[in-house]
Amino acid sequence: MLKNHYIQRFLKGWKIFIQNPLGKMGVVILVVFMLMALASFFVPHINPMYDPMTGIDPDIKISTGPSLTHLLGTDNVGRDLFAQLLEGAKVAFIVGLSSAFFSIVIGTVIGMVSGYAGGMVDTILMRMADIIMVMPSLVILLILSSLFGQFNIWIIVFIIAIMRWPAVSRVIRSQTLSLKHRPFIEASRVAGASHLRIIFRHIMPNVLPLAFLYMTFRVTSAILVEAALSFLGFGDPSQVSWGMMLQWVWKSGHMFQAPYWLIPPGVSISLLTLSFYMLGRAMDEVLDPRLRKEGQS
Amino acid sequence: MALLSIKNLSIGYQTKAGMLKAVDNISFELERGRPLGFVGESGCGKTTIGMTLMGLLPGNAHILGGSIGFQNQDLIQLNEDQWRRVRGKEIAMIFQAAMNALNPVMRVDEQVIEAIVTHTPDISPADLDKRINELFDLVEIPRVRMKDFPHEYSGGMKQRVIIAMALACNPKLIIADEPTTALDVIVQDQILKEIKAIQKAMNTGLIFISHDIAVVASVCKDICVMYGGQIVETGTREEVFRNPRHPYTKALLGSYLSLDNELTVVIPDMRETPDLTLESGCCRFAVNCKTCSSACKAEVPQWIDISGSHKALCCDETIIRNSHE
Amino acid sequence: MRNQTYILGKLVEITIIFFVIMTALFFLFRLSPGDPISKVADPMLTPEDMRYIIEQMGLDKPIWEQYVIYLKNFFTGNFGVSFHYGEPVFKIIRERLGWTVLLFTSSTILAAFAGVFLGKIAAWNKGSRLDNVLSISALVCYTLFIPWFALLLLWVFGFKLGLFPLGGILSPELWVGNASWFVRMLDILHHMLLPLMTLFVIHLGSYLLLMRSSMLSVLREDYIITARAKGLSERVIRNKHAAKNAALPVVTSVGLSLAFSINGGALTEQIFTWPGIGRELIFAVSNNDYPLAQACFLLIALVVCWPIWLWIFSMPIWIRGLPIEPQGMVLE
Repeated sequence: MLKNHYIQRFLKGWKIFIQNPLGKMGVVILVVFMLMALASFFVPHINPMYDPMTGIDPDIKISTGPSLTHLLGTDNVGRDLFAQLLEGAKVAFIVGLSSAFFSIVIGTVIGMVSGYAGGMVDTILMRMADIIMVMPSLVILLILSSLFGQFNIWIIVFIIAIMRWPAVSRVIRSQTLSLKHRPFIEASRVAGASHLRIIFRHIMPNVLPLAFLYMTFRVTSAILVEAALSFLGFGDPSQVSWGMMLQWVWKSGHMFQAPYWLIPPGVSISLLTLSFYMLGRAMDEVLDPRLRKEGQS
Repeated sequence: MALLSIKNLSIGYQTKAGMLKAVDNISFELERGRPLGFVGESGCGKTTIGMTLMGLLPGNAHILGGSIGFQNQDLIQLNEDQWRRVRGKEIAMIFQAAMNALNPVMRVDEQVIEAIVTHTPDISPADLDKRINELFDLVEIPRVRMKDFPHEYSGGMKQRVIIAMALACNPKLIIADEPTTALDVIVQDQILKEIKAIQKAMNTGLIFISHDIAVVASVCKDICVMYGGQIVETGTREEVFRNPRHPYTKALLGSYLSLDNELTVVIPDMRETPDLTLESGCCRFAVNCKTCSSACKAEVPQWIDISGSHKALCCDETIIRNSHE
Repeated sequence: MRNQTYILGKLVEITIIFFVIMTALFFLFRLSPGDPISKVADPMLTPEDMRYIIEQMGLDKPIWEQYVIYLKNFFTGNFGVSFHYGEPVFKIIRERLGWTVLLFTSSTILAAFAGVFLGKIAAWNKGSRLDNVLSISALVCYTLFIPWFALLLLWVFGFKLGLFPLGGILSPELWVGNASWFVRMLDILHHMLLPLMTLFVIHLGSYLLLMRSSMLSVLREDYIITARAKGLSERVIRNKHAAKNAALPVVTSVGLSLAFSINGGALTEQIFTWPGIGRELIFAVSNNDYPLAQACFLLIALVVCWPIWLWIFSMPIWIRGLPIEPQGMVLE
């Protein structure tokens, strides 16, 4: 019964969402990249030389342009660029979604606790958020990786998440503040519900849509930061990401000679982040009826 | 010769649900010395009338028919350029100060000056200075506060500035849209007195819009009661107040008088909102009318004269004629 | 009155933020794996020199005392000696700072002006083809991957067309000879144009989008109707009443976005070999030049606080007494 209600609400939201040109475009681009990410699992099985990291075409020792065996050409040691691009899509999704997810979890919990508790707890948590919010995440990652050596991909994901929760928690906090004194919260408090129960049972369902909206924007920034880090040579050396591909084309001095190598990863990064951003904008309209009405009139 | 004469005006909003007739076949006349009040609950179309007279209807609003005669021209025929010359100069509007009607980043006097300079660009600095001081004196704002920003003003002072702004070019017609709503009672009283005094002194036409029939009655000589986009009863303030005939007017007065005389209260029981998509001419009040008969729903309501200026709109003449207790 | 306490509060906040950053940095450097001495002294030094540095930094003393010495050194501008350059870090930073400021401020200010102007037009013509074109291009600018875009510019305008130099800040031959200052300035401008364009385009997107949405919400305000009711022309309503109010969040965001553009600044400097702080930081980090890296980071932390300073002092002047609570205006 209740589930049914949620499904209906979702379907209604989806209808509005898909009517939005931005949302439509975002979904289409996203699906293409998802297919690419899925394809990256199969490509190495076609021929071991299509392994993005270790697969080397035995006949090719230099970077070559697009051909039938190598759709986008090869890099300077004979690895297939198309396979790398597919692998990059996978890594981008992993980095973007998981670090956005972590930062949403952290931000939502801190925002709810801060808004609900108020007083000293609120002040300390929000000052902390302010401090982290003004920090340039790329620079922090650079400093940390110089001190602790190169990170693997999950540590990078986690650090990005830790750098990126404050904005989420600010939004969730203000939403919690406005919910805190609504009758249904007061009622459950009077009925003797524990604080934890009120936060997770009553407040959380009401702030989650907003948290999801912010997740799409977090995905964008996580992908960009990871790409920048890899581009500067501080990424996970065992992963082929788009940033890494750009780092290779730059460091190997092929950036002026091999446009087939330079252009695809950059276009992919921009398109994928763009699609997540569009998704967020379209979701914004589903969640904010005022925006929707305006769009129609 | 009336200053403003509106004939059979209908205005609709294009929405997803169809054309909403916010103003349905309205006619009235306004003389210079006789302020006219529009009263009704929110959504009854009174603000739409005000915005129409300013030429400031939103994009999805359409004038479906009728005419607005003002100074030998039909305002409906004006183009945007001609409108701009009317707005502020011939017809001015007093907005509700509680809304964000003043620009927060401009000094108060600049906002009034702007209204003057727009319509008299070649005014000399000395004259402008004189005029500004005159206006602020008129609305009783100390000259030292002229250069403040709006947020430094109290609600009553903001309302006064808005009045000064409307008066800036000596308009022939002033439309006051809920000018005292959201002010406390004492300030409300001062503002009302000021508006009355200014109207008298300058002999302008005044249309006063409010949901509060008492406020309207204290300023206006004539009153139009509106419901669902239609004028349902009109007359002088004494006629409407002492001798209400339309069931809606009675309900409205009942809600106002409820504190004085608890025993005779007619508590309005209106659950339905009027259906604005109905065909033009139908009785919009039928859904809430207690005296409504089934036959009356199908009929077109007619104006029923009670006295020379007192009229009510209803299908059933006997109800109107016999309803005086 | 309210604003004064507000500003005071902000100042205290900045001080606290800065101390927290400094402290965190101190412990990070001390607690990270590896020999702590290698983090402050060049491993290539002779033992005597090494001992001198250890004494000066107090590395043989307990950790809280080291912390005090660290703070003292910081406030006297003594950041140690760069391993790579063999020069005081302070001097290196001072040389690099000007170049970063030049590139940064010019690109941000240009982008803000262009963003406000274009965003205004887009919002005013909402839903038109012009608006769609502007909004979509702004979105694309906003999500561009900075180093890639920089490389692309370099490839097209620097390499293919040969219009601009591939990096650096000046052509040495002009500076050795006796070219006039005007020619030299043009030379710097010539070198600066591509990095400037990179940062400009990136910032333009976010300012345009911000101005557009801010303008749209201002256009719904009642004072716009008031302005119309006065009979003002549409141009006056757009430029005087709407745009002025709508630009306020953009102004705030110009200050705050400096913090975020440090990421982009470092990447851009790196690609165009622009000798600024960001590039120096990347260089120091890549080569384990810890004193230099630490100083760069502290400086960046200061810069991050700097826009808040600017913002605090400029806002009340522009709008006297207007409540200046920030409204989360940073476009994420």
